[in-house]
Formats: sequence, C-alpha cells, structure tokens
Amino acid sequence: MEKTIKKPIKITDISKSKEQLVKINPQELVPLPPPYDKPDNFPKIKQLTEEQEQQMDSSLDGFVLVGFPKSVSEEQEKKWVEKFLSGVKKLLNKEDNWTFLKPLLISLEYCTKCQTCSKACNIFQMSGEKEIYRPTYRAEVLRRIIKKYIKPGGRLFGKFYGADIDLNRNLLARLAELSYRCTLCRRCAQACSIGIDNALITREIRKIFSQELDITVPDLHKLGTVQQLETGSSTGMPPLAFKDNIEFLEEDFEEYTKMKFNLPVNVPNADILLIHNAGEYLAWPENPEAFGIILEAAGISYTLSSDLVAYDSVNYGLFYDDIQLAKIALKHAEIAKKLGVKKIVLGECGHAHKALGVVADRIFTSENNIPRESCLTLLKDIVFSGKLALDPSRNDFPVTLHDPCNIVRSMGIVEPQRKILRKICPKFREMTPHGIENYCCGGGSGFAICKSLNFPDWRMHISGRMKLKQILEAFQGDLGPENKKYVCAPCSNCKGQIRDLFKFYKVTEKSSIYYGGLVELIVNAMSDIKKPFIEWEML
Amino acid sequence: MAIFKHGDIEIEVDEDGFMQEPDLWNEEVAKALAKTESVEELTPDHWKVVNYLREYYLEFHVAPMIRMLCKKTGFSLKEIYELFPSGPAKGACKVSGLAKPTGCV
Repeated sequence: MEKTIKKPIKITDISKSKEQLVKINPQELVPLPPPYDKPDNFPKIKQLTEEQEQQMDSSLDGFVLVGFPKSVSEEQEKKWVEKFLSGVKKLLNKEDNWTFLKPLLISLEYCTKCQTCSKACNIFQMSGEKEIYRPTYRAEVLRRIIKKYIKPGGRLFGKFYGADIDLNRNLLARLAELSYRCTLCRRCAQACSIGIDNALITREIRKIFSQELDITVPDLHKLGTVQQLETGSSTGMPPLAFKDNIEFLEEDFEEYTKMKFNLPVNVPNADILLIHNAGEYLAWPENPEAFGIILEAAGISYTLSSDLVAYDSVNYGLFYDDIQLAKIALKHAEIAKKLGVKKIVLGECGHAHKALGVVADRIFTSENNIPRESCLTLLKDIVFSGKLALDPSRNDFPVTLHDPCNIVRSMGIVEPQRKILRKICPKFREMTPHGIENYCCGGGSGFAICKSLNFPDWRMHISGRMKLKQILEAFQGDLGPENKKYVCAPCSNCKGQIRDLFKFYKVTEKSSIYYGGLVELIVNAMSDIKKPFIEWEML
Repeated sequence: MAIFKHGDIEIEVDEDGFMQEPDLWNEEVAKALAKTESVEELTPDHWKVVNYLREYYLEFHVAPMIRMLCKKTGFSLKEIYELFPSGPAKGACKVSGLAKPTGCV
C-alpha cells in the first residue's frame, strides 16, 4: 500500500513524487439510503495485482483506466512533454481545433474559481469532496501549463501570475487518468453563471493524449472506434451477424405474438434511416424489436442499414478524439445518402444523439448535412397521433425516468419522453432533481463500457453513487421486494451502468427494481398485442 | 497481458481472464478456464451452452445475443446463471474461449 499525501492537495501536487494523491475508502463516501447504507455489505474495491502495479501508474487515486506506463525513460518523458505542448498549442488555434475552439477559449479565460461548479458535481460531492475530483482541478492544471509553457515569458515570470507547475512524467500520468474521472455530464457548465465548461476542458485534455501521445483507453479506442470502423460495430458484430440477429428478432416476435412482423433493412428511399446503438441488439434486443413494432403500427416509412458502421450509432470519438469522431459521423451520413432517406433518426442512445445530432454540424458540409432527429420527438408524435391503441393500465407499476445527460441537458430534449410516460404509465414519478438538472448515471463519457482492471469499482462507488441514491429515493417507502418497479432509461450506455449498479448493490434482488428503455413501455401498453411485452425475468 | 497456467495448459489471457487467441481453444482449455469461473466440473448442460457459443462464434465472429442463447439451448437466463455464476457474457463466453464482449453490451 502506498502512502497518501496529507491534505490539502494543491494543484502543483500533480507533478510531485510518486505517492498516491488520494485513497478511496468506501466508509468515507456519502452514505446511501437504507438498506444500502452499510458499505461492508457490498464487494470491496478490487486491488491491482502486483504485476499490474509494476506496469501501470495508479498514483492518482489507486484506480487504473488509462494504464499510463509506470516507468518512462528520460528520453521518452521529454518526447511526451513536447508532444503534449504541441497538442496544447493546437487546441488554441482554429486551424487545428475545428470542433470546440470558441467555448474552450472562453472556458480557459474567464473562470473566477467561485466553486459553484463543485457543488453541482456528483463525483466531487459523493466522493466526500476529494480535491482532485473538483471540476476546476484539472482545468486549472491545463491553465497553468498554458501560462507557463505557451504564453511569452511564462517560464521566467510564470510563478508571479499563477503558472507554477512542472510539466513532467508524474503530471502526465496523473492527468491522463484524471481526464477519465469526469463523466462529461456538463452539470458543472450548466451551474456556472458564465457557462465555463470544465467538462469540455476535460474532453480536450483526453484529445491531446489521444491525438498527440497515442494514449487512450482501450475500451473506447482499440475495442471501440477502431473496431467499429474495421468490423462495423464497437461490439465486434459484423454485418452478417447483424442480419442474422434481425431475422432472429422477427421470428422471435412472430412466435411470441402470432403476429406478422418485419424489420426493414436496406430499403432504398425510405423516409427515415433508423440507427440503434448496436449493443441493443446483443444485450437488450427487445428495444430494437419494440421500435420495429411501433414504427410498423404507426405506418412510418423507415429502414435499418446493414452497411459497415451504419447499424451502430455509437461514436466514442465524441469522448476523446476529433479524428475518430469525424470518420464515424461521415460514414453515417454517407450511408444515409446512399440509401436516399430524408433523415436519420437516432435510437435510444445518448451520446449518439450528441455526436451525430449536434457535434456533426461542425463536420458536415452542405453536401452531406442530412437532417437528424431524436427518436424521442418522433415517438411522442406517434403516441399522440392516435395511431396506436394504448391501454395505460397495462403499465400498472411504479415507473421513474432517468434523463441521459447528452439528450436532456446537452440537447434540451426534456418534455417528449415525459409526455409519453404521463400518458401511458399511471404510476410515473419524477426523480429529484430531474430534467436538465438530472444527475449522470455515472457511466457517462463511455465509462459504462469500461470494464477493465479496477475502474468498474470507481464507477460503482463514486460516479454511480448519486444516481443510485436518486433511484432509491424515487421509490422511497417501497424498497422491499414485493412490488416490481421500473427505471426508464432511454440510453444504452445509461442502461449498462444502471444494470451494473443494480447487480453490484443487489437492487433487483432486494428491492425488485428493474430497468429498461422507453419503447418497451409503449409496446407493453399496446392493446393489440395480447401478451405483455415486458418479460420481467429477462430484464 | 497475463499468462494463465493450469496443469500443462499455458495460454495468454487479458486482465479479466479472457483468451487472447480464441483459435487455441480446446476442451481441455475449457475445463481449465471453467475452474476460474467457480465451475468445478463441466456437465453435459454446460457443454450444451459452450458448444453452442463456440459454433456461433466460429460462424459470426461475435457472441450471440443472450435471448438467442437461451432459445437455442433451451435454458432460461436463470438456468444459465446457475450453470455459470458470473453469467452468460462473462462466465460462459470466457469458458468457451470467446473474446471479452465490447461496446455497450
């Protein structure tokens, strides 16, 4: 066990000695409501093996996601410092930073350190206010690097105006990990009276590490965007398996309901190209199935695509790399154009909404700038069009709604999903707070798919803590196993995180709380389908 | 990357114990990997799951959806958890020599 430096931790500590800056003790975290209030009842934090400790740097907080190499030669250190600085320079000019230059410059320039953001950050709060997780901490590290190494005279006079920081191996190792201790939920940016976006600064730090130093998280890069561009999907599912899955879903539904059912693939000139997160087909196939049932019943002209990348809306480039982001977004637009559809509709995947729905505007030209729409607005229009026969009494169980940050806070799509739930779920209740003030599931910015080493324990103990607390509070007074309850989470990533939380804390077992998407609830209320669509034992 | 050793068997695995080269899988490897998943003995029911996963993987280069696994083997999800306590994706896939599931699954 490594010693920890005594509080308070300063910004400059990030460059110092190899001692671990912070140690996480589950007993010191903000407690969960009973019967989940005894940390000893849950799995202990996984310790790294000796071999892993020797290879990877864990001197930030004892957790490892990036796996920055432990021993770095002086020559390598010098090279990385140079590359990092070259990356910082690129962030600050418009030729190289064609995605986020303006909001980044404003965020770097005007922060008054009032700390309103710290109060808004669930990670900082639930960790028991660990200094390194403060939203301004990593931002301030970058600011000081800029002041000292980029601004004229910084190296000589820097310490007189807050530029006292050493850009060395220790800083790089800790900053690389620290850029992955924020879920990019942007609750801090919303709380800031002048809109300083510390999540964006975090994302841009990840970008420097990826684009300049080739330091990435394997789950997001090698097994994520690289695999998606090569095999067609971040799940590794090739087009052949996709088509086989579609056939299986059609048969499965027909067998279950004795109704005919078709999922259209590669239909030219349909109105809509619908793209799901491919994880849905493998982990939650009832979700794409439910989409198919609703769109068919409403008579919507749409198609899925079996082209490489076009059956997976995932774009993890959003979280760490502009080049990967652009490659995938362009592929999505290319297939839509090839099929001749009028627009792309994104299924229940939060980050795909933001990547293709918003950020792609910075990538597309007038030629490929195809309209994109959220499934939530389309579903609201369908549910209120009268085209579906809906019987809300079939959803006669308590339901609460999780707001995916990318869809709700970042895009402002707040009401459509609520209007639907108010109409079809008589026992719907909100979490506190909700809407644009929601808390992240704790799996944001791709964390939900990061399953390696001991990082999942950080997600379970710290980043997911507030969401679990909110879910339990939404069902307060009914936390026993008697009644089934449903958390509606219209986002694949959020579902993955909520599934992991429920398993870790035994929530389904103890409190009969299940989770799923929005379309499943709509189909469950459709009176034309005789058997209930939601099969609790499969959730 | 780590090396997993059991008797005469020596294979490369990732940090969660999944095989790095699924082509090197055989029944002896399956028996050895099963021990890491608290499965002391592979019964015919275990083999039914493992063989289906293997066949599917060789054809499609990815693990099947859980619903498909249940339907094709005739086991409920609960029964699969009884066979492989850490579940279909982690336990059964690992014993079958499949790569670790990736993406939002």
